[in-house]
Amino acid sequence: MNSFRLLEHTADMGIAAEGETLAALFQQAALGLRQIITACTDIQPSQEILVEVQGQDREELLVNWLSELLFLLESRQFLPAAFEIDSVTDYQLRARVRGETLDADRHYLEREIKAVTYHQIKVEETASGWRAQVFVDL
Amino acid sequence: MSVKVQQIDACRWRIPREGAMRTDGLVFADRAMMAVLQKEKALEQVRNVATLPGIVGPSIAMPDIHWGYGFPIGGVAAFDAEQGVVSPGGVGYDINCGVRLLRTELTVGEVRPWIEKLADELFRNVPSGIGSHRRDLKLSVAEERKVLTKGARWAVENGFGRAEDLEHIEEKGTLAGADPEVISDRALERGRNQLGTLGSGNHFLEVDLVEEIGDQQAANVLGLFPGQITVTIHTGSRGLGYQVCDDYLRMMLHAASKYGIELPDRQLCCAPLNSPEGKQYLAAMACAANFAFANRQLITAWVRESFERVLGKSPDELRISTVYDVCHNIAKMETHQFEGQTRRLCVHRKGATRAFPPGHADTPELYRSVGQPVLIPGDMGRYSYVLVGTQGAFEETFGSTCHGAGRVLSRHAAKKLARGRNIEAELAARGIIIRASSRATLAEEISESYKDVLDVVNVVEQAGIGKIVARLRPLAVIKG
Repeated sequence: MNSFRLLEHTADMGIAAEGETLAALFQQAALGLRQIITACTDIQPSQEILVEVQGQDREELLVNWLSELLFLLESRQFLPAAFEIDSVTDYQLRARVRGETLDADRHYLEREIKAVTYHQIKVEETASGWRAQVFVDL
Repeated sequence: MSVKVQQIDACRWRIPREGAMRTDGLVFADRAMMAVLQKEKALEQVRNVATLPGIVGPSIAMPDIHWGYGFPIGGVAAFDAEQGVVSPGGVGYDINCGVRLLRTELTVGEVRPWIEKLADELFRNVPSGIGSHRRDLKLSVAEERKVLTKGARWAVENGFGRAEDLEHIEEKGTLAGADPEVISDRALERGRNQLGTLGSGNHFLEVDLVEEIGDQQAANVLGLFPGQITVTIHTGSRGLGYQVCDDYLRMMLHAASKYGIELPDRQLCCAPLNSPEGKQYLAAMACAANFAFANRQLITAWVRESFERVLGKSPDELRISTVYDVCHNIAKMETHQFEGQTRRLCVHRKGATRAFPPGHADTPELYRSVGQPVLIPGDMGRYSYVLVGTQGAFEETFGSTCHGAGRVLSRHAAKKLARGRNIEAELAARGIIIRASSRATLAEEISESYKDVLDVVNVVEQAGIGKIVARLRPLAVIKG
């Protein structure tokens, strides 16, 4: 099952994601990240950005992937609508992110995420696929 | 896994050294706080910090301690300049998140009729929330680098505020050793549009009223009197600081293994203070700290403008001046006496405040008879405190004290509690006006989300690591 849910932490929040494949897992984690930032459903997939990130292991790769999405939002005002993972290994991920430029009149952002942390981070293989846990600093 | 604690007295607890710990843990808390703490993971984090190389004295936790990333929030740890380490996790993502207190010559009676207008003007004039920034402040990369080197001084040189503001900022608003060359392009890019912005979450701008004086002599010296209008600014280094922390955590993960430092938690990653990685982090952290000092200085200028516009008074009539500006997330090289020896130490304060005593050379001259001002925000519905540093703090906690109330409810729990309630109306009934960019923030930041900050400052005062000077009550709150 490809899914995510948000985790509670006294000061911050986390994401628990599941995926049948590693690609689906990274896609679900990204959807979880967006859910923390906004409940907004009206995001047009009108622009496409190619994202390529590296990591020393799967955990670092997950942190770097989600951090890249935060960077795009904060620096380029790019609000993502959909995530297509083209390829993912233990050390490298390539994805196409579709979305649009933040529009204060249409988009309502609920929370500002400061960073994606390594705190209690997990990326694990399960009987039915993959499972991950990651916390963000708010 | 439960952590063994031994009660020392009414407000001190020891986590005895065991296993990989190099020193004891020392927690400041009353019995009720400790009962809550024992169910949380923050004490494990106090214990984890005690395992790091070169730690001097105990791994310390303030009464507002809560679960952080790697280091607990409300943690203080000092490391030997030669044998010790520096850790980005011991400072946090929001480098130099801090508080500035401004005083005015106005009384509550003069401001009350204008408070709605003032709240609107401040909300318009000081950008808050995601993506919001002043269109009239455009920074080139070259200019941004100057901000990183000069801090609040950059803002004053560019017409934002006055030179005397600098006298009343920790480090006079410029942390030495900043080197923009070690800042990534990514951090520069994240910071460029965020200078002069409040941010969201627990960051805020408040118009307060001095409600009660705890120490008359110190209040006189700080220029505080009952019924006076003050302004509190709580923000930090914004995206630039978050990115610096992120960049250097990555570097330190590799450095820790390179230097053979065993980590009980990845987020505690660190490097020796005298290694290239350690020095580079300190130079980058100083840049982010300076960005934060400049940020609070810009907001100060816009607060002054807003008061002038709404009240129709001149700067001379209003005389809005900086009481003090403190860092809550920082690591600094300081000189302390430890076990009869003068030691050069890197003191990490993560969710903790420097609280230097009367007579200390780094306490501003004006305040030298009473001690360095310490600013402790509470929650938006209750009150905040002004304290001064003490000799007790200097001797026991490397000149440090608490920083705030500390969350007790998760955001989800807070939202659940706020459901169906009109938070705005509830605050209004208590004489507090709120302007918030995000409804989620409003619900998540309700008073019940936080400990009563009075309990925190009471423990600190009882322990002798801070002295209460005044209590402030919010009249208008601006939230991101």
